[in-house]
Amino acid sequence: MVLCFMFTWPCVSFYLGWTAVATWKWIANDDNCGICRMPFDGCCPDCKLPGDDCPLVWGQCSHCFHIHCIVKWLNSQQINQLCPMCRQEWKFKE
Amino acid sequence: MASMEKRLQKELQALLRDPPLGVTVDSDKTSRSLSEWTVDLEGAPGTLYQGEKFQLAFKFGPRYPFESPQVIFTGSNIPVHPHVYSNGHICLSILTDDWSPALSVQSVCLSIVSMLSSCKEKKRPPDNSIYVKTCSKNPKNTKWWYHDDTV
Repeated sequence: MVLCFMFTWPCVSFYLGWTAVATWKWIANDDNCGICRMPFDGCCPDCKLPGDDCPLVWGQCSHCFHIHCIVKWLNSQQINQLCPMCRQEWKFKE
Repeated sequence: MASMEKRLQKELQALLRDPPLGVTVDSDKTSRSLSEWTVDLEGAPGTLYQGEKFQLAFKFGPRYPFESPQVIFTGSNIPVHPHVYSNGHICLSILTDDWSPALSVQSVCLSIVSMLSSCKEKKRPPDNSIYVKTCSKNPKNTKWWYHDDTV
């Protein structure tokens, strides 16, 4: 008669820490900036990182752009400062 | 990559992937820097330009889309239209005063097709011969008067 012995080695894992994963999203009425066409979740073409350094702004007309994009456009307009989407006078939403 | 090239790259991809009816980008004639494009247009069915083929030349400056592109008809067939001069220059307000950075190659092409489509009589602008003799090569240097919104 053959006796079989099974050995199981305890399997021990060490958890040295934990990593939290989260996603974020701007809440805008579109996915892409109408000026640079980059996603709102990304940044304007002049920035490297999305987020607080490249925020979105809204006009009173409710259209939304990267702040860097709309400011560049407004600065290039000498007379009327109009929303690129609806051509109403651009006023920042308070 | 400059922001102008980034945006043009996106526009080119979108136009190649999903072109509107009658609008075709000639990707061979589009320069590597993306600053010059050639776009083929077809006259819309049911209009005076049905079956005709036209070509548009786009030139983009480094400030695009904050500055409008230079857009002219080119090639052998320049449409006979009250807002198109025989040298290919187009009198269309969105190409100068009414430009917006939310416009694009696609929207400019569609505006031009629509401008052609609403034409009721094929004729050149009344000042065609004097304009063509005296104008600058770049139509953006022309001080246009936009007075006729019907065509």
